[in-house]
Amino acid sequence: MSLLEIRDLNVSFRTKASPIKVVSNLSLDIKESEVFGLVGESGCGKSLTALSIMGILPPNAYAEGLINFTGKDLLMLDRESLRRLRGREIAMIFQEPMTSLNPVLTIGYQISEVMTTHLGLSKKDAFDKAVDLLRDVKIPSPEIRVKEYPHQMSGGMRQRVMIAMAVACNPSLLIADEPTTALDVTIQSQILELLQKLREKRKMSIFLITHDLGIIAENAKKAAIMYAGRIVELAEAGELFNNPGHPYTMGLLDSLPKEKGKPLKPIPGTVPRPDKLPQGCKFSDRCRFVMSYCRTEEPELKAIADRHFVRCVRAAEIKWPY
Amino acid sequence: MALLKVQSLKKHFPVKRVFGETAQWLRAVDGIDFSVDENKVFALVGESGCGKSTVARLVLRLITPTSGRVLFDGKDIFEFDGDSLKAFRKSVQIVFQDPFASLNPRKTVFDTISEPLKIHRITEKKNLKDACAELLKKVGLGTDIMNRYPHEFSGGQRQRICIARALAVNPKIIVADEPLSALDVSIQAQIINLLQDLRKETKITFLFISHDLKVVHYFSDTVAVMYLGKIVEHAKTEDLFNEPLHPYTILLLSSAPKVSYPPAAIRHQPDTGEVPSPIHIPPGCPFHPRCPKRFEPCDKIIPELKVVATRFREAKGRLISCHLWNQY
Repeated sequence: MSLLEIRDLNVSFRTKASPIKVVSNLSLDIKESEVFGLVGESGCGKSLTALSIMGILPPNAYAEGLINFTGKDLLMLDRESLRRLRGREIAMIFQEPMTSLNPVLTIGYQISEVMTTHLGLSKKDAFDKAVDLLRDVKIPSPEIRVKEYPHQMSGGMRQRVMIAMAVACNPSLLIADEPTTALDVTIQSQILELLQKLREKRKMSIFLITHDLGIIAENAKKAAIMYAGRIVELAEAGELFNNPGHPYTMGLLDSLPKEKGKPLKPIPGTVPRPDKLPQGCKFSDRCRFVMSYCRTEEPELKAIADRHFVRCVRAAEIKWPY
Repeated sequence: MALLKVQSLKKHFPVKRVFGETAQWLRAVDGIDFSVDENKVFALVGESGCGKSTVARLVLRLITPTSGRVLFDGKDIFEFDGDSLKAFRKSVQIVFQDPFASLNPRKTVFDTISEPLKIHRITEKKNLKDACAELLKKVGLGTDIMNRYPHEFSGGQRQRICIARALAVNPKIIVADEPLSALDVSIQAQIINLLQDLRKETKITFLFISHDLKVVHYFSDTVAVMYLGKIVEHAKTEDLFNEPLHPYTILLLSSAPKVSYPPAAIRHQPDTGEVPSPIHIPPGCPFHPRCPKRFEPCDKIIPELKVVATRFREAKGRLISCHLWNQY
C-alpha cells in the first residue's frame, strides 16, 4: 500500500502576466518504510514538490492536483487539520541547519515544543523525552547539550537536532530536502547512516531530495529524475543506474568524472528558465538524440520495463552506454 | 622545477575578546610545506575549516603569514614590492567558488575582462575589443556578449567569465578555490573540460582547491590532504586514490558517496565524530580523537610528515604524518 500518492501535481507561481508553471503533472507513490529519491538540478522543481506536500508553499505559489496521504487529500485539508498533521505524521528537514533553528531558544525547548503541541505532553516530560531523542540521534552528552543554543553547535550537530525534532512524534513520512548539502562528506555519511537507522527502527518512509546521484545510489530504493518541472524517469535505483532510459539521466551519469584523461561528456547548454521552456519535449534543446518530432510534441511518461517509466519517445531505441 | 614552493607556512588568526585583547589563536594553517611543479595540477583537499582557502589567500599574497615562506620562481613573494609585486600579481590569478559574488554587477563583461589588460598594459586601447573577444572564445563564450552584465548569465557562464578574466594576463599559475562547487553536475562537467583544455593549450599550472574527491581524482596530478591546518598525506593522485594510507584519507574516501549500483558495500562506519575547532586543536596528532586506529603515542606526540615506502610499492614522493607508518 502506498503511504503517499501524488497524482498530476501542478505547482505554479502567480505573476502579473500569466502564471508560470514550475511543476507539471507530477505523479509518484511512496510506499511504507521505503526511501524514495528525487533527483534534479537546481530550479527543476524538486523542493517545490516537497513544500506542496507540507502545505508550506511561498504565498505567491499554488498547487493543484491530488496529494493523497493515508487517505486524506492534503491539498483539500483546512489549515487546522494540516497543522495537526505537519510535524506529527509528516515531518521535514531542510538543507540549511544553520537557519532552520531558532537562535534565541534552547535546543531542548525547540524539540519539546513539538511534543507538547502534538502529543499533549507536559513540559517536563517533553524535555526528558528531548534528552532521549538527542541520544537517539547520537549527540554526545545530551543532558548538557539539551540546554544549549544552536550557535553552540556545529552544522552536523544542528542537523542532528533537526532530525531529532522531526522524528519526535514518530512521523510515518520524513521529507529530507538536501539534508547533507551544507555538510562535509564525513559528516554527510554519518547523517545518512543515522537516517537509515531511524527509518528501520521507526518504520518511517523517507522522501529524499538531492542533486547528488551518489547519495541516491547508496540510500534510495526507488528514485525519480526531474527536469524542468517534470519527472523524466522513474525506476528502482538498480535500473536507474545500470539501465537508464532517458537521455537526461544518461547525460547526468556521463557528466561525472570517471576515467582519468578521458574528456567528460557534459550535457550541452543550460537548464531553460521555467517561463522559457522549449516546445515539445522540454529536454529537446539539449538532447543529443533529438528528432524533429521531439520539438513539437511532449512525450508521456511511459513504462519501458516493469516499474521503469521514461518520458522519451525514443526510449526503446537508445541504449546506454552509447 | 618547482614553480611555487611553500615552506613551513603558518597563519594564526587572533580571536579577540570584546575589548580587543587577544584571548586565543585560531591556527588556520599550522606549518605546511609543499611545492607545485610547472604545468601540473596540485590539489589541496580537506573539509571545511581545514585551512585550504587560507593557503590560497597566502599563496596569492592577499594576507601575510605568521611565519614561513612562499617562494614563486625561487623568490619570496612577501619581499616583493612596487614593480616586482605588480609582476607577481600578473603571474598569479584566482578563480573563486561563487561566480555570483565574484563579478562586479555594475561592470559589463568587456569592462571586467579588459581591466587587467589595461592595468598591466598588455594591450593597446584600440585592440582591447579584439583581445577580449579572443579570451571569450577561449572559454567557450560568444563574442556578442561583451556589452552584457553578469546578472544576464547563468552560473556556468559566469564561471567562464571569471576564468577568462584570470586568463587575461597570461598567468603562470591559477589558484582555483572550489571553482565547481556552486555549479550543477551537468555544468561542472563543462567547466572541468574547459580547464582540462586550457591546461593542454596554455601550460598553466593549477593550485586546485576542492572538497570534491571525484573531481580531484580526475583533474589533479598531485594531492595533499589537509586536516586542521596540517598536511596529513601527500601523494601522486593515482597512488592516493588507489591506496590511501592515512586513516583520515581513508575516512574521507570511504565517506564520499559513489555512483554505482548496487552500492559497493553497506558502510558501517564507526561514528568518528566531527572536526574539532581550529582554536582548540587536540594535542598530539590532530586527528587522534576521530581516528579508529589510534594507539599509544597518538595523543602525546605530533607525528611528522615523513616519506614512507609502503610494503606494497615504492611510492615516490609519498608523505604521511601518522605514527602507524613510522614503524615501517
